[in-house]
Amino acid sequence: MTLTKHIWLPLMAASALATSMAAAQDTTLSYMMWDPEQLEAERAAIAEFEASNPGVTVEALAMPPEDYWPRLSALAAAGDLPDVFAMSSGFVQSWADAGNLADLTGLITDEQLAQYYDSAASVGVIGDARVAFPQNWVAPVMYYNIDMFDAAGVEHPQADWTWDDFLAAAQALTVDENEDGTPEQYGMWLYGRYSHIEPWIFRNGGRLLNADMTALDPSPEAVNALEFLTSLVNEHGVAPAPAEMEGIRQQDVFALGMAAMWVDGSWNIANVRDIAGDSFQWGIAQVPVGPDATEETARAYAWADMLAIATNSEQPDLAWDFIQHMVGEGRTASDFLGGKIPAFQAIAESEAWLEADMQPANKGLLLEIGTQPVETGFSRDWSAWRGYAASGSGGMNGELDEVFNGRSELDEAIENFVAYGNDVLSR
Amino acid sequence: MTPAWRRYAPALIFLLPALVGLAVFRLVPILWSFVLSFYDWQIFDQPSFTGLDNYIHILTSPVSGQVLRNTAVFALIYVPGSIALSLVLASVLNNTLRSSTFFRSALFLPYITSTVAVTLAWKWIFSTRFGLLNNALAALGIDAAPAWLADPTYALPAVAIVSIWKDVGFYMILLLAGLQTIDPTYYEAARIDGARVVRRFFRITVPLLSRSLFFVLIIAMVRSTQTFEITYALTEGGPNRSSTTLAYFIYENAFIHFQMGYAAALAYILCFLLGLLTLVNFYFRRRWVHE
Repeated sequence: MTLTKHIWLPLMAASALATSMAAAQDTTLSYMMWDPEQLEAERAAIAEFEASNPGVTVEALAMPPEDYWPRLSALAAAGDLPDVFAMSSGFVQSWADAGNLADLTGLITDEQLAQYYDSAASVGVIGDARVAFPQNWVAPVMYYNIDMFDAAGVEHPQADWTWDDFLAAAQALTVDENEDGTPEQYGMWLYGRYSHIEPWIFRNGGRLLNADMTALDPSPEAVNALEFLTSLVNEHGVAPAPAEMEGIRQQDVFALGMAAMWVDGSWNIANVRDIAGDSFQWGIAQVPVGPDATEETARAYAWADMLAIATNSEQPDLAWDFIQHMVGEGRTASDFLGGKIPAFQAIAESEAWLEADMQPANKGLLLEIGTQPVETGFSRDWSAWRGYAASGSGGMNGELDEVFNGRSELDEAIENFVAYGNDVLSR
Repeated sequence: MTPAWRRYAPALIFLLPALVGLAVFRLVPILWSFVLSFYDWQIFDQPSFTGLDNYIHILTSPVSGQVLRNTAVFALIYVPGSIALSLVLASVLNNTLRSSTFFRSALFLPYITSTVAVTLAWKWIFSTRFGLLNNALAALGIDAAPAWLADPTYALPAVAIVSIWKDVGFYMILLLAGLQTIDPTYYEAARIDGARVVRRFFRITVPLLSRSLFFVLIIAMVRSTQTFEITYALTEGGPNRSSTTLAYFIYENAFIHFQMGYAAALAYILCFLLGLLTLVNFYFRRRWVHE
């Protein structure tokens, strides 16, 4: 035996021993989500989890949604899903049906569950199994420009506003100073987008899908809501045709002071703060209840962002501990940016999250929505029949825009998007 | 080892990494996607065999029909438009070679600039209310200018115009290279014989440039069916699918709706149509391309 072998063999043996010991002690938990900015906000909570679980390293990775879903899907196909990953209300049904989500039923007690908004926690229950747990939830609300309301002498939106009250306000807030036929200020801004339309449908007690969510079958209440929204643009002229606003980011129309009211997701609070700054005072209100709705049938529109565990995770217990930490007391109010509402009620109700010193001053209104019956509106293949993201020009979105742009009748548009949607859902 | 093997073995060894890469990253996915086109597969679930269902649905669906029509209309604007414009530009720059370096660079610039960045600039130009174009038209007294990107009549041509603007510099360079191989004595002889500019262009330039033109035609046809980034950044296929072309529809089905089998079938239909067009082109080649 040479001298080299004398030195190397014990070294290699020691190295192998050290590696195996480290492997026994150190555990890596993989975590993936769709919002890089949000992940930065979560770093402290992740570090805290690692500190309270010696030997555990959380390997966190975030990418924008357009990259997240293809990548997560590819990992599912390869049988290499991260232990914990973010799951949306829109995809939870399909992912559960595909058998990718571990069953969490029984891991949480009723007492623990009572600490979360029920409307958010129920989204992750598919069939009889809880397959995802909410981290936060979001809901469309009506943004309104307080300065414009005050200048026009219009009373601010009230909880008991009817659609007629809303229309009267929108008419008073539509201003065409130079009388050229194109108002400089509109009372309202909307187009065929899901978060612009569905809040009115659900607040009117309407449904787009049948009871088992397998086919498009708009109820009369839904059709009435669509007729009302169409009249805002085509009859009353209190909202611009979408074509007129082409070239302006939809989320900036209200923030730039071009419309006095706008219904969209609570997550846009951050954008309105960024764009509008202190240029005007603004608040949020609930979408008025429609004329066809009763107390029992009127529903709010809200959905949850959740965390799930991969079915093939080798450390489901540790993964569940991590989820509990990330959805509960391990978090602080500052982790939830803008209008993302923590599913854990104690944080949502905290002064820090309510941000009374920032606009909107009435952010607590969002919490009221969480206590109401809510509708998520999602179904299998929702993005296709609804027309969402890069396919926003198609489906229901595209057809409604044609109506708002005055190129199509509502009846024809409904017939078209129902036929297309049912074709998608039947495939 | 036989002498022939001895001769080719080193070349094969050097080629092996490239061949393996080509097989793993190109050939296998191409063949696999063909298999997939007979399946229903969302990537994250188990594929289920559906036979010809995807193809039958594509060929009978009104949406697919609209998308195929859009693709044809786009190609009919893009291919002749980009070839004609690049030919004119190349001819002009070829005749004024000394001062053309700046213009050649300027015209080539859009081709190498980030597509999304320049498309966003075009989006602002086309903006209905605050766009440069409509404000310029208003200054000329035209108040009823259209909503270029929100009107089904104009959205697809707008996408085609931006695509032509983006690519014309590339085709121009290809044609310019072809033009510079034409012997100037042909032009001198024609000039002495009294042939004017237009006659010289059609009787000397076009025939002697036909091989380059054929190459540009094939490339432009292929590219016309692959438009994606400009559509994505400019119109997202709208309004109401009026500017959705096949490549964009494939993306939608594959990466928004995760209908991989359906997207694969669409891709093979695109491949079949392109192959057919290329064959037609090669068939007619002998009639107008001078070898």
